[in-house]
Amino acid sequence: MTIDFHWRLPTHGCHSSIRRGNYDRGDWSPPSPENLAPGFDAAGEDDSYRYIDHLAQIAKAAESAGFQGGLIPSFPNTDDPWVISSLLARETKTFRFMIAFQPGFGNPVHTAHASASLQRATGGRLLFNIITGGGGPAQLWWGDSFAHDDRYGRTDEWLDVFKGVWSARSGSGFTYKGRFFEVEDGGLPPLLATEEFPEMWFSGSSDAALKVASNHADYYLSWLEPSEQLFDKFARVKDKTAALGRQQKCAIRVDLVARKTEEEAWRDMRHGFENVSEETRARWRGQATDSVGASRQAALRPTEATRWDDLIVGQNLWGGFNLLRGGPALGIVGSYEQCAAQLDVLIQGGADGFILAGTPHLEEAYRVGEEVLPLLGRSSQALLQAAE
Amino acid sequence: MTIRTYWQLDPAAEPHRLEPSFQRPNAIVTPLRRAAVHNRFDYYAQVAEAAAQTAFNGLFVAYRAEADESRIIAASLAREVRGLEFVAEFPASVGSAVYAAKQAATFQRGTHDRFAWAIAPDADARSRARVGDVVAQDDLGERLDEFLTVARGVHTQRPFTFHGRHFAVENGGFDAPLNRAPFPTVFLQGESEDALDLSARHADVHLFRPGPIEHIASLVEGLNALAKQADRSVAFGLLQPILARETDEEAAFDADRERVVPGTLVGSFDTVAARLAELAAIGVSHFVLGAEPALEEAYRVGQHVLPRLRAQLAPSTTAAVRAA
Repeated sequence: MTIDFHWRLPTHGCHSSIRRGNYDRGDWSPPSPENLAPGFDAAGEDDSYRYIDHLAQIAKAAESAGFQGGLIPSFPNTDDPWVISSLLARETKTFRFMIAFQPGFGNPVHTAHASASLQRATGGRLLFNIITGGGGPAQLWWGDSFAHDDRYGRTDEWLDVFKGVWSARSGSGFTYKGRFFEVEDGGLPPLLATEEFPEMWFSGSSDAALKVASNHADYYLSWLEPSEQLFDKFARVKDKTAALGRQQKCAIRVDLVARKTEEEAWRDMRHGFENVSEETRARWRGQATDSVGASRQAALRPTEATRWDDLIVGQNLWGGFNLLRGGPALGIVGSYEQCAAQLDVLIQGGADGFILAGTPHLEEAYRVGEEVLPLLGRSSQALLQAAE
Repeated sequence: MTIRTYWQLDPAAEPHRLEPSFQRPNAIVTPLRRAAVHNRFDYYAQVAEAAAQTAFNGLFVAYRAEADESRIIAASLAREVRGLEFVAEFPASVGSAVYAAKQAATFQRGTHDRFAWAIAPDADARSRARVGDVVAQDDLGERLDEFLTVARGVHTQRPFTFHGRHFAVENGGFDAPLNRAPFPTVFLQGESEDALDLSARHADVHLFRPGPIEHIASLVEGLNALAKQADRSVAFGLLQPILARETDEEAAFDADRERVVPGTLVGSFDTVAARLAELAAIGVSHFVLGAEPALEEAYRVGQHVLPRLRAQLAPSTTAAVRAA
C-alpha cells in the first residue's frame, strides 16, 4: 500500500515567507512594488497577472514535486474551489483537485452533474473534502441557519443523493424522499454516467461527524492532534466503519516547516511569532466556534503565550501556526529528517494519506517534495529514539 | 536610461526536476495519475477559439441536462481562450444563491471579468423532480427573483440581510477583494408577463426567441416601459439559429436538406446580415447565433456574416456619433 500525498492551494492569498504575516501574493493586500499576482510590471503598471496565475504556479509545482494534488479550501473571503479547479483543469497534467465543499450549498443532483463534467474535463482528477461548517456567524453569512447536528444529517442525506444519482443506470432512475432532499427518477446523463465516482475526504471531529464519515468517507481527514489522541480517533473511525463492512482510510492535514537543520526551522518560527502584533494575538485567543476539531486543538494552546517557545507542545510540534496564517494551529517543525520521521510515526499510527502545506506554498511544495518525501520510510526511528 | 532585466535558464541545472531519467520515486508515495491525452473539452476549446479568432465577442454555453455543465465548461476554457466573454446558462435550481455569487466572483477575478449568467428557462415539473428541484411551478418566478436579489445583494452590499421563502442570509456580503469584481451580466429569457416583469427588475439583457419582427418590437417596447418604471434599462438579445451560405439558393437548399429547427434564419450572407441589421434597428443589440457544426459554422458566420452586419450598422453609428 502506498501513502497519498497532497498539497494545499492557498485560496486567501499567500505570504512570501512564514516569517511575515503580510499577504504579499494575491490582492488581499493593496498593490505594492513587492506584491505579486497582481504586481507591477517594469513600467510600474498593473502587470495584469491575477491570483489564479499564482495558483496555477503552485499547482504545477505540486505536481512536479510528486504530490497527487491539493486541497482547495473554501471560506467566506477565499476564492471558490470549483471555479479554481475548472480554470486550472486544462493546464495541469496530473494535479488532483480536492474541492472543499459544504454539501448544503448545492443541489446534490446538479452538483453531481457538475462533478461528472469536471471529471471529464480533467480525466478523473476530482475529489472532495466534505466539510459541514464551523457554525456561528459564518454559517449565517453563507445563508445557512441549520444547527450543528442537523447539518450533519443534511450532509448524510446529500451524500446519499449525490451517490444515488451517480450510480443510477439508465432505465432505473434514482428516487429519494428525505428530510432535506427529494429526487424522482434522477440520474446522470449517459455521457457522464461512466465517470469515476470522486473520492470523498471527510472532515469533522464530533460524534455526529464520525457517524456520517463511517457512512460515506473514503478518507477520514483530521487536523494534526497530539498523537495519542489522534490515533485513538483513527482507531474509533476505523472500527465504526469496519462494523459496517467497509474499510476506512485516515488522513492528516498538517503544515510543515522543514529546513536543512532543526535550528533554522525554529528560527523561522521565532521570527514569525515576533512579527505578529499583539492585536492579532488577542483576536487569536478569542476565536469562537462550534467546531469540535478546532476545540480539540485549542485545548492544547497555552492561554498566555508570550514567547514563541511557549508554543512548543511536543517533539517537533508547534502550536501557533494559525497566528501566522489561517488554518489549523498545530504543525511540524524540524530538519528534513525530523519532519520525515514525524510523518513516519503518523503513518505507523494509522495515517493513509496527508495534505501537507508550507509557506510560501509554491517554493515549499518543491522543498517538501524534494527533501522530505524521499526520506519517508527509511528515516528514523533512530532519530526519534535518540531525542527521547 | 531604460534598464532591461533578464533571468537565466540553465538547461543543465536541476536535472532532478521533471527529467525522467533522474526521477527516484519513493515507493511509499502513491504515484501520480495521468489524464487522458484528449477529451471532449478539447473540442469545446476549439469552438471557443474559433469564435474568438473570428471576432465574436463571446461564447454562449447552453444549459443541457444531457451533457457537460455549462459553468464547468466556461471556466475550463476561459484561461486558454483569451479575450472572449463566456455566458454560461444554468437553472436557478443549482443551489445557494450566495454560493453561486461567490463562484461568479472567482470566475471574474480569474478571467479579467469575462463572465456572464444566463438563467435557463423553467423546465417542466417532471424534469425538475429528476434534478431534485421541489419548488412548485407557481413559485419558480419568486425563487428566481430571490436568487438574483440575494446573489447581487451579497455581491454589492456589506452587511446584507435577507429573509425570503427560498433563501435567507444574515449579516452577509462579500469583502474585498471579492467584491471588487463586477457582478456578472445577467441574461434572462421568456415572453410571459411575469418573465418580462422580472427582467425589468433584474436583467441586464433580455433574450428573445426568433419571431416576426413586429412581435419582437412590441416586446421590446413593453419591456422598455416596465424597466423605465423600475428606473432601470435593459438591453435586448436574440437566440438565433442561423444558416448562411454564399447565395440564397444554396441556403434554401441546405435548409431543406438539413431540416433546420423552426425559427432558423436562412439566407445568403447578405440576406442574413440585412435581417440582423433590421433587428438591430428595433433595439436588439446582443445576437446569440448558433449553427451546426459549431466549429465550421463559427468560421463561416464570423468571416462572412459579421463583417457585413458591422458594415450595415456602421453608417448609423457614425451618424449617431456625429449627432452627439
